[in-house]
Formats: sequence, C-alpha cells, structure tokens
Amino acid sequence: MIPASAELLDIGIAAADAMTALGNARATAAALVENRLALRPQPVFGRDGGDPVPLAAIGQLDESLPPRWLPLARSFLAGIPAAEWGSGRLPVIVTSSNFGVGSLYAFVRDHDARHLEHGTPFAAVRLLRSTCGWGDNVTVFSHACVTAHLGLLHATRLLHAGLADRVLLVSFDFVSPFVAGGFHSLKILNSGMPAPYAKREIGSIGLGDGIAYAVLSREHAAFRITAQALHNEMFHFTSNEPTGAGFAACAAAVKFAVGGRRVWIKGHGTGTLEAGRLEAEVFSRAFPAAPLVSWKGSLGHTLGSCGLVELAIAIAALQANVIPGTVGTSGPCFTDTVALAPFHASMFDAAILTSNAFGGAHAAFVLTHD
Amino acid sequence: MTKPARSFERTRYVHHLAVEWPAATETIADARQRLAAKFPRHATRRMTHLGLLLGSVLDGVVAGLDDAIVYATTFAETRALEEYLASFPAPSPALFQSSIHPSAVQQVMIGRQQSIGRVWPLAADRRLFEQALLTALLEPAERVLVCGGEERGTWMLDHGVASDRSFAFVMALTRQPNGAIGRVGFDSGMRSTEGVPPGLVDAAKQLAARATIEWSGPQGSFSIAFTS
Repeated sequence: MIPASAELLDIGIAAADAMTALGNARATAAALVENRLALRPQPVFGRDGGDPVPLAAIGQLDESLPPRWLPLARSFLAGIPAAEWGSGRLPVIVTSSNFGVGSLYAFVRDHDARHLEHGTPFAAVRLLRSTCGWGDNVTVFSHACVTAHLGLLHATRLLHAGLADRVLLVSFDFVSPFVAGGFHSLKILNSGMPAPYAKREIGSIGLGDGIAYAVLSREHAAFRITAQALHNEMFHFTSNEPTGAGFAACAAAVKFAVGGRRVWIKGHGTGTLEAGRLEAEVFSRAFPAAPLVSWKGSLGHTLGSCGLVELAIAIAALQANVIPGTVGTSGPCFTDTVALAPFHASMFDAAILTSNAFGGAHAAFVLTHD
Repeated sequence: MTKPARSFERTRYVHHLAVEWPAATETIADARQRLAAKFPRHATRRMTHLGLLLGSVLDGVVAGLDDAIVYATTFAETRALEEYLASFPAPSPALFQSSIHPSAVQQVMIGRQQSIGRVWPLAADRRLFEQALLTALLEPAERVLVCGGEERGTWMLDHGVASDRSFAFVMALTRQPNGAIGRVGFDSGMRSTEGVPPGLVDAAKQLAARATIEWSGPQGSFSIAFTS
C-alpha cells in the first residue's frame, strides 16, 4: 500500500544551479569532495560583535543598502534559461525562510528607514521580481527549513495539473545577525563546529548563505524527481517526537518509491545531537545499505533553501560521479551507515534528499538519473 | 469568456467557515481573556495574537494526518518580530521561535499535539489569497483547511510594513457536496476580464459576510459561493 504521505508524480529537472560560500554547485561539490570547510568563526552579531560562531557568508554578514543579497542574486540568477518567467504558463515559485529579514535588524541598528523597503517577505520578493523581470505569476512559500521542498511539490502539482509548461523555482536565504542571533539564543549555534551525525557531548550547527534555482518540466530530463513526501509532527517547536515517528513517516513514503533501486541519502544533518541521531537511526533501519551524508558541516545550514541548494549540489556531484562524504565529521557516528569519505556515484541508481524544520516538519524526495 | 478544449477544473465544498474579526483596538491581553475558554488553561500564555485568533477559528476542527493546511499571511507574527528585534543584544529564544513562519499554525497544532500531513504556508501580498486557494485546490488530501490572518503591528505599522488590524479565518474544504455550506471552484479554461483577486483582508471580510467572490488570475477563474 502506498503511504498517504507519498506523492508519486514524476518531474524532470531541466536546469539547476546553486551558489554557496564555496561557489556554484559544481565548485561546491568539488570543494566538498576535497573536505573544504566554508564555515569559519565569525561574530554572531556581525559588526556588532558577539560570540564567534561558525558562519559561511558570501561576503559580509551585515545587511547593507541595497541589501547584500541583491547583487549576488542578480548575478547568480542571470544564469537561468531565458523565458517569460512569471507569465501564465511559466510560473515562478520563490521559497525562503529569511527573505530580507536581515534588513529589519539593520533598521533597528541604524535607524535608516530605507532598510525596511525590503525587510518583509513580499517586499524582498518584489525586489527580486523587478530585478529579474518576472511577471506577477509568482507564488511564495515559507516553512522554515523545509520551504524549498514545498516549492518542488507545488511545482510538480502545477505541471501535472497542466497549469504550467515549465516552472522556475528560486530559493534564497542569506545569514544575518537576526537569524544567527536567534539560533545562538537557542544554544545550537555555538562556538563548536558542526559535526553531523557524530556522537559527541555538545551539538553544534553552522549557518551559511545559499541561493539556488531549478527549472522543472514534465519533459524528459537526465535528472528527475520521482517521489516526494511531507510530514508535520506538531510535537514541539524545537525538538522531535522522541520515537522518531516524523522521520519514519517520510522514510516510509520514499521507501515505497525507491523500490529496488540502490540509493544513497543526503540527510538533513545540521549537527544537532537528538535530531541527527533520530535521522541516522531511522534511515539506517529503512535503508540499511544506503550511505548517509550531510554537507552542512562545511556549508552550514542554508535554512529554508537547503532543500534546493543541496539538490543542485547533488546533481553536480552525480555529474562528476563522486558524492561528497559527511564533511566536518570524523566519527564515531550514530550509525555505521554515515559515510565520512566521498564515494563513487556509479554504485547507485538514485538518491534520497531530506530536510527537517521547526515544529517537527519533515520533507524528502527521490532523485533519479539516467 | 472562452473555454479551450483542455482545461483543469476543480470544485471543493465548504464544510466549516469561521472568521475572527475583533475590534481594531483589541490587544493580545484582551484576546487572551476573550478567547480563554477555547484553549486549555495556561496554553495561551506564550501564544501570539495571531496564534490566538487562528486557534479560535480552528476551535472544534479536529485535524489529522489525512488533512492538509494551507496558511496565508503577508506579515505573520509581527509583534513577536518587533519584540524579538527589541530583545537584542540578548535575543529571546522564545520570541525567535514565535517569529518564524508558520508560527501561528504551529502554536495551535503543537498545543493540540495534532500531526498533520502537509502544511503550506504562503507569504505574499497581492495575489496571496488566490495562490492559497489554488494551493488548496491542488492538494489531494481529503480535507484542506484554508486559513490565514494577520496581527496588528506597532512600530512596524508606523513604517507601513505591518497589518493595521488583527484577524483570522478558516474554510474547511472537502470533495463532499452533502451538507456543504458553500462551494469553491477553479477553471483554468475560463478567463474573465472582470474581478480582481481579493486581498487577504478583503477576503476575510467577504467570507465573514458569506458573499460570493469571483475573479480571474494568471492561471484561471476562481469562484466562492455560499448556500446560506
């Protein structure tokens, strides 16, 4: 029986790329294979100081006028295949958890009202839309760190309903003192470097800038998403249901779709202890032969965009035929399925990519390739 | 109006409708007192104004894994955002959590310990209500709760980046016409030049009045009508 949370609609990825502190998707994948760390200790409040915490910003952390993400986004998004994006048959979906929220912090600090012009989600997207010349068929989702997955599934539904010929999905999240201060207050962004899935005394995450896009269609493509799943525990804001039921719900949904394929898993793996343990244990039970990796030990957590940023990196890694290991972790790990070193992609037929978020939100999809 | 040979049509039926439209001057303390009976004791202590209003309109609606929630808000938890910013240089973890989209939905559902299949939080402005409806109509869940709202800001409102009033609404949509109080329709083949998409505030007002709403968007025509 197909689990209710599984959505088995097939879509092709006509184009995808990402930008992290290590470069575009191809450069990032290559750097991860070389175990390079983008994270470095920086003051949590930017120029206002504070404890040093692991951050991987592209440039300065502090928000500027115009917002620091705008020129980076303009340059990066210029690589999107040209089309009348935002018109009736070519919708755009924008996903983010931060949007321009760093500008609100900058306003409070500098008392310059110009920062407020792009501090809210719709204002940030309006700025992005005018910069990129999109029409007004732009839908915006924001669901913390599973946000990009919502964009993928909504795009899939639009395509299968015949409401779009192609869909452009764009996700962007840039670190700021606002968000770094928040995670620092929760004590999970601390002086330690993240070591995803490692058994240790104190968990630590890092935060990183990330922007990505994907052009999706129902036409044949070398890379395809064949199943997607979403689940919301609603157990606690910042901790998971202790049995791992939320992880298991998503694992069961994608397991059905995987069938007999040989898979590897790009997990969420931020570096927190309990969520990392639950994720590793649940997925090692569901997929005992599948190596589990996380790249957030190098890139940091790119928050609402991580699902799309890591998809673009996964595609670049598959094209290079080498999958990066769990950078930043040296073991021992919660399960022996955690892959610390890079491995050859040719041993596998598909990948599972997962993300989790506040409120016990879970998301996963299956990426297949020719 | 013209209708091409191939189009996507969908109809869902409204089985529950509730709108919270408190006095514009209502404070969060007022809301806690007014709505106390709808929440477990002490549950409202850390809830936001928007969370309280959303909890109120969802009162009596038992959601579960077979359901989906579509949640629309332009500004979300404005007061939590304002107070979180004011808490620097010692940022408040509770206010940080409360400021994150979709906090209001999570406040209600975590309070009830109700797992949900899919939650779709949207965050736009002009076409927000229309996009929320389309998201709901594309959702295969047996029942979709389309909800939304805002909370009145303070200093952010002074700068025009917050809602000037607090409100919340919910419509429960299913495939079952029996016992329905209304109907939501979408047809990608129908394009009318008349009608503009209602903003979130206007949508809540018109839902409260059970008014018929019709408009066209980039992907087709929408209609909402009530039987009583």
